[in-house]
Amino acid sequence: MTQYNILLAGVGGQGLMLLSQVMGDACTRSSIKVVVGAQHGLAQRSGSISAHVRIGDAYSPLIAYGTADLIIAMDATEALRYVEYLKQGGTVVMNSRMMHPPLETAPIVKNRQEKLTYVTLEQVKEQLGKVAGRVIDIDAEKVAAEAGNPRTENVVLLGAASALSGFPIQSEPLKESVRRVVPERAVDANLKAFILGQQMV
Amino acid sequence: MSYQDLTDPKPKKAFMLCNEAVARAVLESDAKVTAFYPGSPTSEILDTLYLLSADYPDLKMEISSNEKVALETVAGASMAGVRSFTSMKSVGLNVASDTFYTLGYTGVNGGCVLLVADDPHAHSSQSEQDGRFFAPTGHVPMLEPSTPQEAYEMARYAFDLSERHKILTVIRTTTRVNHQYAPVEVGEVKRTPFQKRNWRDVKRPYFTLSETARRLKGEALEKLMKIEAEFDSSPFNKIVNGEGRIGVITSGVSYLHTMDAADALSVKPHILKLGTTHPLPKKLIVDFITKLDTVLIVEELLPYLEQSIKAIAKDADCGLKILGKESGHLGYVGEYNVAVVSKALSSVYGVNSPIDYEAVLAKAVELKSVIPKRLPVFCAGCPHRGTLWALQQAIKGTDYVLNNDIGCYSMLQLEPYNLTDMMICMGAGQGISSGMQHVVNDRVIALIGDSTLFHAGLPALVNAVHNGHNYTLFILDNSVTAMTGQQPNPGSDFGPNKVTEIDIEAVVKGIGVKNVTKIDAFDPKPNVETMKKAISQEGVNVVISVGPCALWNDRKKRAAKITIIPNKVGKETCKSIYACVRDFYCPAIQLDMETRQTAIQTDICNGCMVCAKLCPVSAISSTGGA
Repeated sequence: MTQYNILLAGVGGQGLMLLSQVMGDACTRSSIKVVVGAQHGLAQRSGSISAHVRIGDAYSPLIAYGTADLIIAMDATEALRYVEYLKQGGTVVMNSRMMHPPLETAPIVKNRQEKLTYVTLEQVKEQLGKVAGRVIDIDAEKVAAEAGNPRTENVVLLGAASALSGFPIQSEPLKESVRRVVPERAVDANLKAFILGQQMV
Repeated sequence: MSYQDLTDPKPKKAFMLCNEAVARAVLESDAKVTAFYPGSPTSEILDTLYLLSADYPDLKMEISSNEKVALETVAGASMAGVRSFTSMKSVGLNVASDTFYTLGYTGVNGGCVLLVADDPHAHSSQSEQDGRFFAPTGHVPMLEPSTPQEAYEMARYAFDLSERHKILTVIRTTTRVNHQYAPVEVGEVKRTPFQKRNWRDVKRPYFTLSETARRLKGEALEKLMKIEAEFDSSPFNKIVNGEGRIGVITSGVSYLHTMDAADALSVKPHILKLGTTHPLPKKLIVDFITKLDTVLIVEELLPYLEQSIKAIAKDADCGLKILGKESGHLGYVGEYNVAVVSKALSSVYGVNSPIDYEAVLAKAVELKSVIPKRLPVFCAGCPHRGTLWALQQAIKGTDYVLNNDIGCYSMLQLEPYNLTDMMICMGAGQGISSGMQHVVNDRVIALIGDSTLFHAGLPALVNAVHNGHNYTLFILDNSVTAMTGQQPNPGSDFGPNKVTEIDIEAVVKGIGVKNVTKIDAFDPKPNVETMKKAISQEGVNVVISVGPCALWNDRKKRAAKITIIPNKVGKETCKSIYACVRDFYCPAIQLDMETRQTAIQTDICNGCMVCAKLCPVSAISSTGGA
């Protein structure tokens, strides 16, 4: 079967579900088969969330372990959290931003004499490199600000992913779906974010 | 899908969430009355119909106080002759089950459809309850979709089936079906005007007792026999022809995992995918299994299909080897995926999987040992954070038992609190407290949210006051049903229709609670003494902690163009005491690793000021919007 599997990962509140909407809408309008399994979870923000985007001849809404062609992560730690889905030699496109959860901060302040530190981007990249063929980290917060709207970090990463060779959806239908899915007042900034993201790869 | 696509009456193909496809089917089926209590993974069905009801005024949509009331509302509308619909999560049907079982006897009139969603893996539920058993014990038919397209088609068919046989019809889903998106082809929306009718024109008896109950039960079983014959040739039961004499019988999302697993293993079993799972299409099943030597039953949770098929095979006397849970090929716990089904299939065929899924998982566990867990926490600006901080202080030095309930505040069982002794189901905290206060020497504390109080908490409070019990009840009133997506509840001042806001304080006082105190959730320090006093008093004491859900309130502010102003930490004043981190766990607060001072992520903070009020050196203040 020909398929392209994308695992989306992030922290609740970062607009991850919008990306699966944009990709699914673009596939549907381009007559490409697609199924998305979303982990909606509960409404609370700041938890770990994911969505499985399966393009081509796929049935299950969940990617099998070791078969994702690509991970797109809104937070570097979240890319590593779902590494079991990535295939050997697969690609990771991730935000270099790391939101440190309270469970990471608490032990640092409770054992202050031990001078513990947060996990670093370098550590995450090193671990991902043991499976991934290519890890692309982007300061999406900065690029989104350049695009004129700090809430476009998600679309920056989508733009970057769309520039990868083998990415199964064309840019034009993706941009058209961005127009259809994001609120009208945010369309221009999102399209700019998409193009700036493309230029990062 | 875009809301434009959803509300546009024209037929189309669009990318949709399964729950949206179901809502569209309800709209196209001309259902007139719908009622719901929200619950994951079904909440988006009611969220979508809430939006659609604004565009289609002939569609009545209500958010009910609980699932039982919702089912009764749609059953009443059906008895009066219109089509009606409700959906609920697995455990919601427990609440509605008293009504459900008798409706199985009385039948309905207008097409009446109930969607119930199980949650294998207990992603967002207190149990992995298997709701399929409701259908056979309730004497009603059940359909099980695998995909959004099928959910849409089954919902359309369910109204027709229900109306023709005058029988309540159940659509059973699981989380991975409800939360699946795919392109869906939908039809045209053709609504008829809402017309009131006279009871005398549609009237027939809907009551049961002794002789009537026995007669109606017999009639329901006869209807099911007719439906079984219809199901034997239903297009919802599909055979995928394979090779050899090995087969698979499956349904729901397990069918999708099976298709991928068979492909990955390069094996070709004959697959019977069942879409009508009560009554089972026995003739079809017998035809399928008599061509096989071995069949693997792939289904999550309990061996519902497996045991039924064993019985059918015994009657057919076909010498079939039936594998599944009882043979140890598949498990009873958690949800399935391609790896799980692949393992069972590879064992049946004696072939190896090209991917060693267990090795992939083991390597991943090792690789991610460097990252912290990201468990759910209260949102930045959540009113519960301040309330629970005060409660933590108030119970210090007291022997207590804390009985919690279902809502965002269920997270009290997690870090940093670890405070929950009991949490069973909606509204159970008070009833359990009533029992405990008879027996324990400790102070008994119960906790409940506004929506859960209206849902199942009030009968227990009436009981406690009437019987003179001793416990303290904390009502966490955040104005909405927050955890499921901030839907309105009876205490809210908004809803899909014109609503009357129910005043919790007046209700509690009306029941006869003498000691009632209302506190501001965002002012935690003075609340400690108030809570201590309430906990130490005899009788039923109620503390109502008021503060709006942050997600809901922030959205409201943005809509009204009110700027949300975050806080900042003063570099000069912060002494790294970490009061804002310890026992507080706000996701907006992290450390600046260079100075080891705390730093606030301004795109997450909503300026609730609780951390500022608790900082002993007043290092946190508003950015003032700069």
